[in-house]
Amino acid sequence: MPDTFQWRLRGRCYKLGDDVPHAGGVVPNWIIGGRYFDPKDIIPHLFEETDLGFHERCRPGDIIVTGRNFGMGPKMNGYIAMQALGLGLVCESMPFLAYRAAVGCGVRVMTDCVNVTQICENGDDLEVDFRDGYVINHTRNIQREYPPIPDTLHELIALGGNAGWLEQWWKNRQSTASA
Amino acid sequence: MTAAEKILARASGLDRVRAGEIVYPTPDFVVIHDGLVMGTKQDLDALGIDRLFDPDRVMMVTDHDVVYLNERAVARGAFNRKAAEAWGVKGFYDAGRGGHGHLFPTERGLLLPGMFYFDNDRHCTNAGGIGALAIRAGAEIGRVLATGTTWTVVPKSIKLTIEGRVQPGVYARDIGFHLGAILRRSDVDLDYRVLELAGEIDPFSVAQRVALCSTPTEMRAIGVFFPPSQHVLDYARERAQRPFTPVYPDADAQYDSELTLDVARLEPQVALPGAPHKATNLSEVAGVKVDHAFIGSCGSGMYEDLEIAAGILKERRVAPGVRLLVVPGTEDSTKRLHREGLLDVFQQAGAFVLPAGCGPCASGRMGLLHSGEVSICTATANAPGRFGAKDADIYLGSPATVAASAITGKITDPRSFL
Repeated sequence: MPDTFQWRLRGRCYKLGDDVPHAGGVVPNWIIGGRYFDPKDIIPHLFEETDLGFHERCRPGDIIVTGRNFGMGPKMNGYIAMQALGLGLVCESMPFLAYRAAVGCGVRVMTDCVNVTQICENGDDLEVDFRDGYVINHTRNIQREYPPIPDTLHELIALGGNAGWLEQWWKNRQSTASA
Repeated sequence: MTAAEKILARASGLDRVRAGEIVYPTPDFVVIHDGLVMGTKQDLDALGIDRLFDPDRVMMVTDHDVVYLNERAVARGAFNRKAAEAWGVKGFYDAGRGGHGHLFPTERGLLLPGMFYFDNDRHCTNAGGIGALAIRAGAEIGRVLATGTTWTVVPKSIKLTIEGRVQPGVYARDIGFHLGAILRRSDVDLDYRVLELAGEIDPFSVAQRVALCSTPTEMRAIGVFFPPSQHVLDYARERAQRPFTPVYPDADAQYDSELTLDVARLEPQVALPGAPHKATNLSEVAGVKVDHAFIGSCGSGMYEDLEIAAGILKERRVAPGVRLLVVPGTEDSTKRLHREGLLDVFQQAGAFVLPAGCGPCASGRMGLLHSGEVSICTATANAPGRFGAKDADIYLGSPATVAASAITGKITDPRSFL
């Protein structure tokens, strides 16, 4: 696992409400139906239907904070873009397969963060530590603890998700075999 | 422990596990269907991964695209055959060689009580019908095929106690639709839960158990589990390809929630267009004219489902203007229908029988609906555009309801034909 991986992000808050679906909320439906998996194809359309121009305004380290039931559907497209943009994701709740898809894409994500939308607003200066499990709102001087990313998933996320993890696993296996 | 916890503990080499823990279970086998092989192999090839963790524990099934209706499907079929050879998978069930991957492993004694497996497709919940557990790996099936496992959160279980026995003409799919409607109105969340059945379930045959797995799956359950009855154990022993140990929940198992469902007075149900949980008493929609009827899918494609439909269609005719598609779940069922004379019943009735597999339910590869048409069918789901035009209406019912409705040309209570 890379030692330099940033588990703590600091950036601006982009707050969303409850029940944001993946198709038509995180990315347009045609991105999913068209099976676009290259981040450069997806990034211009991330949150396009709810926040036009989001991809131009966001910066690495910014945090998407959502209400309950975020990202309905086991789709990966939007998370591929979030990971490539260096964004963090903090949700009050996610359907399990949405969480699994985000982790599989290497997104720094915390879910079951009860009432997190009540402690921040759009544009607030947030600091989130995904390994130790806390959110600090520097704008409002509020700190909360939440369930961190489980230890057993750290390597998967630090390696950028499923593909990166599998590539590393295979390299390790090959080097072990040839040793 | 719940049954799900016990099965995952065994597969993970642990004495006990608790819901919420992350484990790395070793599956008894892994299933990948024809629609996922090409993308998965290309992804693994791109990483240089040219071998599977254990080809002898992999089943490649062909159920989504059995009859190639376009060049893309032809190419995919050819690719899959080469992939099976390159990977050395002997358990390659090509078109015409097995049928639905969520049905034939049970029929052939490959899937047995107490087993655990990974599958790319969510309808692997059918494993619970025989008393096994399968977990959907989705796009991570490549990791499973390469390494033999993936991270797995032990799911919470919900205990559902069945009370009473259904009336003649009411079947497990009816219970499933009704249960969906009740759950939708309740605060019980099925998301990544295993629904573990209890109560008066001994009368449920394997086919009925499998049929009841369908609707909870559409409501995001990760599993449905029936503790195997003596009848189910006998069914499994008759065909078992290997020894097995059935699993039952402990008396002090911790459930996320518990529900009771009295089915004694349940009427035949119909799920309204949109979702399987939009269930209502059939009488509320009786008389709705239909153009299309389909019996099959992993929710209602076992031999017993088809036998029930044939019993209603015998010596009757499908109404003019209605097309009735019958899709046996497996090749073995098709052969048995032939032996028992039931293929003839369907054909004499004016129905047509398609090759074993998912049929129209696999994202509309055959038997599609035209704009404005109405279907009554046993598909697993009925969102707009499930098979064909988005402005077609898809109603769901039991195989008996679909057969009765095909005869009259309108949604019809099957009890009038019994």
